[in-house]
Amino acid sequence: MSEYDFHPLVKQLLDGDITIADLPAELRAEGEEALRLLAAVDRSPVALPAIPQRVMRALTRPPQRFPRWLLAPALALAAALVLWLGRSHGPMATPGSEAAITVHFVLSAPGARAVSVAGTFNQWDPRASPLVRAGANGMWTATLKLPAGQHQYAFVVDGVRWVPDPAAPAVDDGYGRRNSVLTL
Amino acid sequence: MILTVLALLGMQQGIADRLSGRVPADVGAVVESLGTSAAARGLPIDPLIQKAIEGSAKGVPSARVIAAVRLVAMQLDTAAAALRAGGMISDTLAIAAGAFAINAGMDAGDITNLLMRRGGQTTVNVRLELNVAGTLVAIGVPSAEAADLVSASLQTGRPATDLLSLPSLVQGEVARGATPAQAAAGLARAAAAQARHGPPPGRPQPPPHPPSSPHP
Repeated sequence: MSEYDFHPLVKQLLDGDITIADLPAELRAEGEEALRLLAAVDRSPVALPAIPQRVMRALTRPPQRFPRWLLAPALALAAALVLWLGRSHGPMATPGSEAAITVHFVLSAPGARAVSVAGTFNQWDPRASPLVRAGANGMWTATLKLPAGQHQYAFVVDGVRWVPDPAAPAVDDGYGRRNSVLTL
Repeated sequence: MILTVLALLGMQQGIADRLSGRVPADVGAVVESLGTSAAARGLPIDPLIQKAIEGSAKGVPSARVIAAVRLVAMQLDTAAAALRAGGMISDTLAIAAGAFAINAGMDAGDITNLLMRRGGQTTVNVRLELNVAGTLVAIGVPSAEAADLVSASLQTGRPATDLLSLPSLVQGEVARGATPAQAAAGLARAAAAQARHGPPPGRPQPPPHPPSSPHP
């Protein structure tokens, strides 16, 4: 209990709900003490002139100009962010890609254990597009959907041997071999 | 200026990301440098990246991969110059198509001639024309004849996508005994006649769409 924890009736007295005469006799001394303490309180208004003035100054202060020397770096950062976001999200747009066109790849490789096709359309990944054996005559086939445009590719036999498509035009691959060409 | 520098830095990072895990570090460093430089000149970078990845996938030593990528960069520069000389405000895809045609054996001057003979076609058609011309050269049609055939075919007024049937038409003639040059010259004459007089009566038109398979 604190020093000024008065009886509830005394608190009512302080609140002005009752008078000192309404208190029981045993509480009147406590009530008088409470009234004496309350009277000693300085009730003059608190003067805080600095606070409203500071608030008003803040409200009426013109907005600070963005430093011009920061404008170019800020725009550059924004542009870099846009570039980064564009690169990080969404599929990488194949240049000139339109509707996908179904292409059927066929290779005769009777002795092969595995055949795949790798090219510009699958980042030259020999594991990305395997062909399946079609029947017992050594034919291997795969059907892919490719975007319109020019594609270069080669078959990969047994994971190590790069073979151009004998049925398609071919160009020098720059590595001493030929790449087959498919223009859709 | 700062925007440009940052864009190029972003480009370099993009190249590095695409090459990550696909090529040795020494190849990657060179391709990043070549790609950034190419992009600054308005050239496409995808052919450089593709060539590097292709070489590494094929197990080619780094020095040879780098040499091949440098060659592609030169072909892109040559193609861009040919397109500019032909009056074409080129985009990167048209330049890539021109570089493909050059790699196939097409002369840069023939690319310029082809572009100068065309009308107000769209840039999309330029890519198509150069891809088809390059494919014709790849099957043995001489460069000038390939340009002539594409140009004559455009004059017929048929859809540009009909150009896609030209390589198979040439191959069909070759299968019947013509040389690629003879086949292309014959088809170009037929196209020129059609442009003057319209298609011959009763003669079937080439397919409106390209064959959907290299093995139709």
